[in-house]
Amino acid sequence: MLVMGEVRTGLLQNSGEIPESLCQGVLGLLSGERVRTSRRPIVYAVSPDQLTGVDCRLASASRARVRGVGTVLSRASVTGGRVLQGSSHIQVARAESDHRLSWSHYLARPGVIEVFGKVRVPDLADGFADSGGWNDCLDLGSVGERFMDVVQASPLLDRKAPFRSARTRLRWVAVAEEPGREGPGIRFTLGRDRVRTLRLVLPDGFTPDVVDFCEDLALHDWLLTTLLVIVERARVGTATRAEVTAKLAPAVDHLLHLWMPAARLDDDFAPLWEALERRPGFTRQWQSLVARVRDQVAINTLALLREAGGW
Amino acid sequence: MLVFAISDKGGTGRSVTSSNIVYRRALQGSDVCYLDFDFGSPTAGAIFSVSSVARGTTQGGMHRYFEGRIADPHRIDIWAETDREGLRAKPPGAGQMVLFPGDEGGGEFSTVSEEMLLRCVRLFTRLEEEFDLCLVDLSAGRSFAAQMALAATARLPGVPFRWLVFHRWTRQHIIAAHGLVQGRQGLLAAGVDHGHDGETLADHIRFVRTAVLEPDAAELEGLRETQKAWLNECDRELRELARRYGVGRTSMLGKIPLDPVLQWREQLISDEDVLSSQIANAETVAAFDDLAKKIVDDSAWEAL
Amino acid sequence: MTPAYAAFGEVEAERRVASAPLSHVSIELGHLYMEDFQAGPERLREQFRQVAPWAETMRASWRARVPGGRARVSTCFLIDDYFSRFSTPSELVPMVLEAAAECDLTIDYLARESACAEADGVKLARLVEDRLVTDPPPGTDGSRPPVTETGWLCNGARSPYGGAVQAMGSARGWEPPAQNAKRRHSIFVDVELWDSDSRGRTWSCPFLAAVWQLLRLGLIRNDGELPVRPVPRGPSFPANWDELPAVVQLNPAAAPFSAYTTLSVLSTRFLPVELAVRTILSQVFVDAAVLRQVADRSGGEGIPLPDELVDRISYIFLGA
Repeated sequence: MLVMGEVRTGLLQNSGEIPESLCQGVLGLLSGERVRTSRRPIVYAVSPDQLTGVDCRLASASRARVRGVGTVLSRASVTGGRVLQGSSHIQVARAESDHRLSWSHYLARPGVIEVFGKVRVPDLADGFADSGGWNDCLDLGSVGERFMDVVQASPLLDRKAPFRSARTRLRWVAVAEEPGREGPGIRFTLGRDRVRTLRLVLPDGFTPDVVDFCEDLALHDWLLTTLLVIVERARVGTATRAEVTAKLAPAVDHLLHLWMPAARLDDDFAPLWEALERRPGFTRQWQSLVARVRDQVAINTLALLREAGGW
Repeated sequence: MLVFAISDKGGTGRSVTSSNIVYRRALQGSDVCYLDFDFGSPTAGAIFSVSSVARGTTQGGMHRYFEGRIADPHRIDIWAETDREGLRAKPPGAGQMVLFPGDEGGGEFSTVSEEMLLRCVRLFTRLEEEFDLCLVDLSAGRSFAAQMALAATARLPGVPFRWLVFHRWTRQHIIAAHGLVQGRQGLLAAGVDHGHDGETLADHIRFVRTAVLEPDAAELEGLRETQKAWLNECDRELRELARRYGVGRTSMLGKIPLDPVLQWREQLISDEDVLSSQIANAETVAAFDDLAKKIVDDSAWEAL
Repeated sequence: MTPAYAAFGEVEAERRVASAPLSHVSIELGHLYMEDFQAGPERLREQFRQVAPWAETMRASWRARVPGGRARVSTCFLIDDYFSRFSTPSELVPMVLEAAAECDLTIDYLARESACAEADGVKLARLVEDRLVTDPPPGTDGSRPPVTETGWLCNGARSPYGGAVQAMGSARGWEPPAQNAKRRHSIFVDVELWDSDSRGRTWSCPFLAAVWQLLRLGLIRNDGELPVRPVPRGPSFPANWDELPAVVQLNPAAAPFSAYTTLSVLSTRFLPVELAVRTILSQVFVDAAVLRQVADRSGGEGIPLPDELVDRISYIFLGA
């Protein structure tokens, strides 16, 4: 088993968070299909699945020429009316023929890419995980990102985002646990240029929940990355209190309440999140940052009160 | 915000001034990027002293992006990749500064196809999400790049944009700058063709005077009285000409004094160049700083 | 204490898909255009005479396949009211029914072609257009948007044309188009899906025919609902096409309109149209939940269906 995907995460280009009622219009990428939403514990809306056809090389660590044909499964989602994600993934299967078949064959297998010749899982998994600089190889991130672009271009959004932020990229690979190979586990790597890689070894094979998990991780990684930049730019200790507070305000208004790791996930994934909480310790870092932001805002409030002669 | 830098004639110092605006804006804490749309001569890397892309990139730049051959154009973190020691450490609180170079050996395009336009719209939309200021350096004169910029912004009603028209303080340059904006197939006419409202577009265009030699400048101390009188008279005539052509004070966003450093070596001027090595003039940096602020200051852009 | 597991569900987060009643096969007995109508009732009778034995053969073959011979076979007939309007339902429908009856054929369902564009306020053609997933030429790696020509759909890569060239760069010469699934040589097909003018968009005949096939296969949903349900015939037929339901059930005892498979008996002049229809259908992505529903039902009856839609569609082409 080999499943690969990429999640791109960014700020929805709107001044405030959008209400659930607007999600249908913003994420309705397919006529005749409803946007699915859930409200607890945080409003989450996801577009209908989209398919994109590909016929190209797959990156492989050995640089072997591997050709795959099939469809990429993608969706766009909005969490908390504020964070937009574009997510694409595929399952790799071995082609039964040695030539390309009629397109209807591939369409009958949504989200599957058939590879000609033998599938060497570790080779393809390693290749995909660091395929960033490769040209002309399967590019799942761009597929998902185009659906993000469609959402961002929606006339229902005012494009007046409260702050600038870069999109992050989380590339993930999931393989099944096999006797003699590494046991179930998770490996998360922070790369350059806002690229992250995630490698999963799953005891029970692939389920659609794996995609949910990767999207959830990408969401929280983006929140952390974005908050770090905001705090860094605020120049705490150097700039004036008023300047610092002004720089931190968007975080308070738009980000701090969104942290809810594993909120919608199946219990099977709880151990994976727990592993990430131990190292690198997402929530620890988040809480420390949040405390810093709140302290700064509080100190400034006190200062203002004092100036105003409050005490 | 998208800012387009254009000039009618070459040699106005458009690129070097734009680069310095971008640099000053980054120092002021904004996330900025510089897009090299001078397709016929993709050499922006040289100004930022990124020698690996001094003549354009080999890793897929603007040209290949617009041809649809790559998904994302090559981006360069200038703070990290510039060869100039003095620029390499990003000061605390400074914003991102990113260069999008053209392709090495890239040439001007023969047309703007619908596909190119869509790619341009997509690029601007994405960059606007990430950067406070995207400065797009267009080539001199009427170009496909300028046409594409006009067409793309017409399709992006939610994205604020501004145009800077660079010209030197000479008779020929003033007339040319006016022609580029108001003339046949100028920015306004082409903009209206692409769906812009003429008046609104005009409100989003300002002029920048470059290599300006003020008659009372210190450099002119040694001149004879007759020479000074003549210079004053020339300057008065130019001001009158500029006013008549709508290139006068009210439509001017800023002026950059003549500075030898800019003439001989087109580069970013750091505070160090002014303070320690003293090769550049403090007035020049002040002018860049001022422009960098005015570019995003709405009061400087109120309707004329 | 044992851990407590909480179950939580939200209606909006779940997806429900209505299921269609299904026959084993839907046989299309004919397709009436203005020119056929103008040729008079004899032309129609001639057509039905030719179709009758093939319809019977198909019926017999399904009887042999289904346990107890209880084959569910429905027949249908499509009238063009989209490209040209002629006569009225009250005048035309009885004539068609009479001609069929003379050849011992029963028409179970009558459909209007314009219903394939829009039926009961649902823009069926748009629904299907949104579900097109274009057949990618080799080298399509997902990094760029799929290459499309607005309003056209092909089965390969088109000849490259002009486009933007860089100054002092080299221009490309002519190159042939290529079929993606070619076996050495190409049969390149490029289908016009629609065109538009001041009155709006006009869907092409192959595109509407593709929608028609999908309707007969019971594979279209709108918000999870069936967009078209056959309406039993009234005592008389209206004087205006717009008042005729999208699909009219003429025979109260008929098997369901939609079916696992379809058969169309057509004149050979429809051969290019049907090639275009198959080009379109092989690029339509049907909702996986709907496909699963149909597969479960047919599997439960011991009738495995081919995965690929186009393999569920058969034709008999008759010479003039």
